[in-house]
Amino acid sequence: MIFVTIGSMFPFDRLIRGMDAWAAERGERDVLAQIGDGAYLPRHMRHVRRLSQADFTASVANADVVIAHAGMGTVITAGRLGRPLVLLPRIEAWGEHTTDHQIATANWLRDKPGVFVADTDADLNEAIHAARGAGGAAGRLSPVADPAFTGRLRAAILDFLE
Amino acid sequence: MKTKRVMAIASGGGHWVQLMRLRPALDGLDVVYVSMDKSSAADVPGHRYHTIRDASRRNKAAFLVVAAQLLLILLRERPKVIITTGSAPALVSLILARRLLGARTIWIDSIANAERLSTSGEKAGAVADVWLTQWPELTRREGRQPEHWGAVL
Repeated sequence: MIFVTIGSMFPFDRLIRGMDAWAAERGERDVLAQIGDGAYLPRHMRHVRRLSQADFTASVANADVVIAHAGMGTVITAGRLGRPLVLLPRIEAWGEHTTDHQIATANWLRDKPGVFVADTDADLNEAIHAARGAGGAAGRLSPVADPAFTGRLRAAILDFLE
Repeated sequence: MKTKRVMAIASGGGHWVQLMRLRPALDGLDVVYVSMDKSSAADVPGHRYHTIRDASRRNKAAFLVVAAQLLLILLRERPKVIITTGSAPALVSLILARRLLGARTIWIDSIANAERLSTSGEKAGAVADVWLTQWPELTRREGRQPEHWGAVL
């Protein structure tokens, strides 16, 4: 299954339209798209507007490849479950987000194992192809942060609780 | 009895996923969690979990509803410490908790903000006892500087 997700905040029709065209062109049948409040309704993908946090995690777990905006919820969940990930960053100038931080996120993650960046929707097909080739090779992230970080936070919390 | 309670709060999606990666910091403590999605309760078994509505700064009416929800939760739970990974509603909870309960506050700006602090993160500098960015580059700047203690990834 291919899972397309735009996250919990703003719509992202550019990704949904691009993936719908991709699914039609390639004759891909098993594609699920989470489209939020988008105006464009896909004709070649199953779609839902929102997923609970639990159903979102399950959809990532069931996916061969995840195709998403460059949001940290998706990045961390796909990393933890070892799923190859294609990222299309949202662009502020096109009203897709309030800042261009997703471009920074995409640039930072660009060469990490299991992450494939599509800078524009025209790059989606190539990135998906590369991600599929990676298969289960995507790195599996530990479920928690570096103990040095959580340890320092814990010490501060215990100090405040005194 | 003096409460030793911690409130851990985050918006749904990436903010919550980041908060979950910090859970070893809260191991064995009396922690109450707050987020937006009912199903997230399953991530924190054995803890009380409250939901609030989602609201961005763009929607003033929804924001007032969220502030009222947070007020009720805070008065009921009376945390001594509040920790968050964002976003805007969590900033409101920090301000309320500090003013009403004298709680100590920890703001961890989302790792998504690699080039500058989030708008809420910027404001959090005025109310956070511990004010953190996950990017070391962002500690070097004019004015008050957030600290860098590490990152969720």
